Amino acid sequence: MDALKANFEKHNYICSDQIATAVYLSFHLSKPILIEGPPGVGKTELAKTAAAMFELPLIRLQCYEGLDESKAIYEWKYGKQLLYTQVLKETLDEVLQGAKGFTESVRRLHEFGDIFFSEEFLEPRPLLKALKEPNGCVLLIDEVDKSDHEFESLLLEMLSDYQVSIPEIGTVKAKTKPPMVFLTSNNTREISDALKRRCLHLYIPFPDVELEQRIIHARVPEIPPELRRQLVAFIHELRDLDLKKVPAISETIDWARTLLLLHTESLDPQLVRDTLNVILKFQDDIENVDAEISTITSKVLKG
Amino acid sequence: MDRTLANFIRALRNSDVRISTAETLDAFNAVELVGYRDRAFLKRSLSLVLPKTEQEKETFDTCFDQYFKFTDVKGERKAANDESEEGDEQGEGQGGGDGQGGEAQGNNRGQSGAPSGKKGKGSNYLIEEEVEEDLGPGALAEAQSPLGQLLMQNSKVELSVQMSAAGEAVDVRDIQVFTQKGLFTRRIMEEMGLNDLNREISDAREARAIPQRRLGQELRRRRDWLREQVRDYVERQFLLHADSTGKRLREDLLRKVKLSNIEHRSFRLIQEIVFRMAKRLASLHSRRKKVFKRGALNISRTLRHNMSYDGVIFDLHWKSVKIDRPKVFAICDVSGSVANYARFMLMFLYSLEEVMPKVRSFAFSSDLAEVTELFERNKLEDAISKTLRDYAGGSTDYGQALEDFKRTCLDQVDNRTTIIILGDARNNYGDAKQEILKEMYDRCKRLIWLNPEPRNSWNVGDAEMRKYGPYCHQVDECNSLMHLERIVGNLLRVVN
Repeated sequence: MDALKANFEKHNYICSDQIATAVYLSFHLSKPILIEGPPGVGKTELAKTAAAMFELPLIRLQCYEGLDESKAIYEWKYGKQLLYTQVLKETLDEVLQGAKGFTESVRRLHEFGDIFFSEEFLEPRPLLKALKEPNGCVLLIDEVDKSDHEFESLLLEMLSDYQVSIPEIGTVKAKTKPPMVFLTSNNTREISDALKRRCLHLYIPFPDVELEQRIIHARVPEIPPELRRQLVAFIHELRDLDLKKVPAISETIDWARTLLLLHTESLDPQLVRDTLNVILKFQDDIENVDAEISTITSKVLKG
Repeated sequence: MDRTLANFIRALRNSDVRISTAETLDAFNAVELVGYRDRAFLKRSLSLVLPKTEQEKETFDTCFDQYFKFTDVKGERKAANDESEEGDEQGEGQGGGDGQGGEAQGNNRGQSGAPSGKKGKGSNYLIEEEVEEDLGPGALAEAQSPLGQLLMQNSKVELSVQMSAAGEAVDVRDIQVFTQKGLFTRRIMEEMGLNDLNREISDAREARAIPQRRLGQELRRRRDWLREQVRDYVERQFLLHADSTGKRLREDLLRKVKLSNIEHRSFRLIQEIVFRMAKRLASLHSRRKKVFKRGALNISRTLRHNMSYDGVIFDLHWKSVKIDRPKVFAICDVSGSVANYARFMLMFLYSLEEVMPKVRSFAFSSDLAEVTELFERNKLEDAISKTLRDYAGGSTDYGQALEDFKRTCLDQVDNRTTIIILGDARNNYGDAKQEILKEMYDRCKRLIWLNPEPRNSWNVGDAEMRKYGPYCHQVDECNSLMHLERIVGNLLRVVN
């Protein structure tokens, strides 16, 4: 467990015990992980880091409304099929070897099998590609909540048995090792129970002050410790306010980079006001916070 | 140990965490992998496998802490026990006079070594201590009964295993009400061999030999400690298993009871029930088809799909067009008599946001006003109480309310609109203005009148249901959560 955490840290991803446990269990039980949590807490990042850590290729499937099997699992290379039929038209006579009559021709054709619906003409999409990776891989199904209900059902076979069924060919199973699957969701809608049942469920909340400081340290190592403390404390104060969109870790990191760029030594109200648009993404929020800036800043400065 | 996990899952289910058989199997696999040794690790692991939403995770946390408390307490106790044993030895070393001191410390062992242990234990101990003679230090006789032997060996693990086994034997999980706690404690003790032990204790007390009598004292001390333990155990079982059974009973009752009779303290529970009902309805109705066979041709997709037919386009694909969502207007009478019903209906409608088309709500007692915005800006409970506060005063005037509705938004009612009116139609003998209702009826897709009063009093006194009734597509009696659920369920079928 500690080794796992240390490994994550080596890849600049500071994780809590809960996250490490999730990866550990997922690895040993070969179960997908469904990650939920507010935006910007590093859900997608976790999958990417895991891929880097296990030295496996990362295959990513971004979900959106209207995503269907032809984009997620496979599609036939229609162009190639068409082209080949055109080319092969000439040789059709040879193939038929002067067969007389309809029945005989069809019978002869049958002998060739369904070459046009074989793997050569199959365009693998992310899910199929993931299954075909020889050494296993990390499959990231991002923002699963954006997809339709139908697509969720499509995923079920993949998630429980690591296989997909293609009517013309049969069932494709994972080659040697099943891929590690990460699903992320922003909770814009409830994920169906059937899907949840097949996954480990990991909820990543906003980190506490200490953890966030370590994250900033890992991501923006150049920032001086005192400023780091101040800015993390400031962000935590903000999260307690009633905002439309509270700043996430990614915003904290952006802010840290911004402050670094401005050669800041310590927070002051004017500076905060000028850079507020890095952490707050709604004009309403910025206006609401504006009045509080001085109080929060002085509170943070005092420590 | 498998049994422990199975029972834990049962306890979780009792606290409304939905766990399927597949997930149970996963839990077993996970436990096999991580083992029981590291409690925090076990908790983290199980919390990944069993609970699947944020709320469930919270429930899980409390449940886990409660359920797997025993191991922890046992550890503490052991430590405490070691300490008190040292105390005993010291007492013995100092000679007979200190026997009582050792005694007091011995009593502490049931209480994790808390300093206030003696006081907390209550008076019966004082009495017993008085009776107890001062025997001084020295060798103890061998205990004879099996339980006595166990107690004297001080093997906590063995004891706790026996306790659980005895608990199983007397079906402690079926405990229903808290008054049964004493009964179950007694039964478990008996199952573990209390009678033999008691006999031995009384035998030992009457015996001549000092070591025998000393054993008697010691055994009794340990028996009392065990009783505490068993009581704790029963208490925990009660919290885990019976609490929710009682809750379920109460919930069943609340579903059927008339909404106006619900006491204020049950509101929270009701709200939970409403949310749960709403969630069920939502999942039932969210599976509607998304692609509509109309709208613009999706050219690229059509071409792609028809390549397999040699480019002959005969399987057409359309751009999925979402027709703009139908609307629901909820008009609620919030005057005193009906306010509670309005509260729960609004609660229901807004809990269904996910599948329900846009709801606009209006409240009136005499003047009508739109409260949609209140609900958009505030949390549900706040919005409801604000609505009730602002509009509930004044005597009911349906005519005026209809007039107001006509003036403000009758022109926004179209043939995709469903109007729900909740009210008892008691108009204080004012002008009913049913012709406005007719206008609404003509324009909208469906007009539903929900009346919280029983059907036979609809036309009694100043009630105007006879005048309004003909201009409604549907008139329903609605005064319990069950009614509400059915009506909202039907509504979803109609509007979507």
